[in-house]
Amino acid sequence: MIEEIYAIETLAMGTTWVHRLDARLKIILVFAIIIVMVSCPIRPEVWISGLIAMIPCAVLWLSAKFPLGTYARRLFLILPFGLFVIVFQVFYPNQLFESVTILYSLPLVFFSISIYAESLLFAQILLVKFLVCISYIILLSSTTTMQDLLIGGRRLGLPAEMTLVIGLMVRYLFVAAGMFQRVQNMFLVRFFSPLATHLPYRYRLSVLAYATGTLFLRSYEQGERVYMSMLCRGYGKDSYLHVSNKPFTKQEWMFVVCSLVFCIGVMVLQFIGTEIMYTMNFA
Amino acid sequence: MHIPDAFLPLPQAALYWVIACIFIIFALRWSRSEMSEENIPLIAVLAAGIFAIQAFNLPIGMGTSGHLIGGALAAIVLGSPYAGIFVLTIVLIIQGIIFGDGGITSMGANIINMGVIGGFVGYYGYIGLKKITNQIYLSAGIAAWAACFIAALACALELAVAGTFPLIPGMVAMGVYHAVIGVIEGVITAGALYLIIQARPDMVPEKVKSIIKKDNNM
Repeated sequence: MIEEIYAIETLAMGTTWVHRLDARLKIILVFAIIIVMVSCPIRPEVWISGLIAMIPCAVLWLSAKFPLGTYARRLFLILPFGLFVIVFQVFYPNQLFESVTILYSLPLVFFSISIYAESLLFAQILLVKFLVCISYIILLSSTTTMQDLLIGGRRLGLPAEMTLVIGLMVRYLFVAAGMFQRVQNMFLVRFFSPLATHLPYRYRLSVLAYATGTLFLRSYEQGERVYMSMLCRGYGKDSYLHVSNKPFTKQEWMFVVCSLVFCIGVMVLQFIGTEIMYTMNFA
Repeated sequence: MHIPDAFLPLPQAALYWVIACIFIIFALRWSRSEMSEENIPLIAVLAAGIFAIQAFNLPIGMGTSGHLIGGALAAIVLGSPYAGIFVLTIVLIIQGIIFGDGGITSMGANIINMGVIGGFVGYYGYIGLKKITNQIYLSAGIAAWAACFIAALACALELAVAGTFPLIPGMVAMGVYHAVIGVIEGVITAGALYLIIQARPDMVPEKVKSIIKKDNNM
């Protein structure tokens, strides 16, 4: 995962207006949308609000002048665990629904596999919510550098202690990525691969264990050096990363209000739409 | 094992966040008092290293690969479960917000699974087993295995409570998969601990590396 960090940060260093937008605005928009999407009721119509919620994401993504392929590639790297839960969902009756109907049954020799209609529906709803949330996180991290995110977070009220810790972590993440890359190169020039089956299993594990231990030691020692140099520069228990105050301008307030109104709109629309559909069904 | 957004309903996700925050406060307090000085920076830089360690492809067999969690290793080497919580919390925040692995609302649950359970099971499992077996590396391996396995079961349980995935199949799938990965995690943790104790014995606290010497003269 850490290998992608350079690619993500390169994306985030763009110069379009989306990149230049204050990090706080993007954080507010993304968090609000995610909370709205997560709190959407489990109803089949969730894809409507999902589709509407994706409009700002698509607009911002295209305004940032990113190709859609980049989005697809980043999405593909994130999907596995979520997709696993969503796909295997359909083979089990879902406990949120009282009655279950078998949509399709595949008899095997000893047991049979059934696909349940309700579970399939639930899987679809989950997939929509999941994709919207993930898309917004991809948008946020592709258009905002980590340092901006950190400063934005601090201005929005992230505790000073956490800001210091995460700030240091972020700064040395690139050093760690470099260390990791060097270990990988070292493996490569020695024709070692953890997945190479012609090497004895025990040997591969011991090499990996020592590489892990070495990385641990190296980052610990890096930490010691950093800590020492910080002490030399006057670091103490009351030192924090200084972040100056920066009030929102009028346009930025407009953006915040618009994004919050949009989120509330999506939520209200969801409820109204569902109610209308249900009354029509019952009528 | 990273639960994404939307897999947990908002009230439950909020509850997990509150529990996680309590442990984060404890972990911050630990790093201020228990460590020799105010060396929070050290732990932060170490967290970056743990993030790199998580990127190693571990061979599980049959061509598949897995990744280390590393919470147990950090907890054992630094001699406190709070080290595991501290390190894993920062790593999970970065993973959730920058890489999109795990979510924002569900981050609390992920911190509980991998950080809190990983740290506590890893550390106290290690200390307990070391007392019984009197073997450092075996105990470290088993403790790291248990930390991985129990975290996976907790993850399956949370998904079941949320109604996202049924309990028994979830437990079986997550349990079996992570029981296998856990073995590798245990072996790697034990091997890494061996290297660290050999290379930097001063770094590891005495209570972690000491074993009761049997008196042969009696």
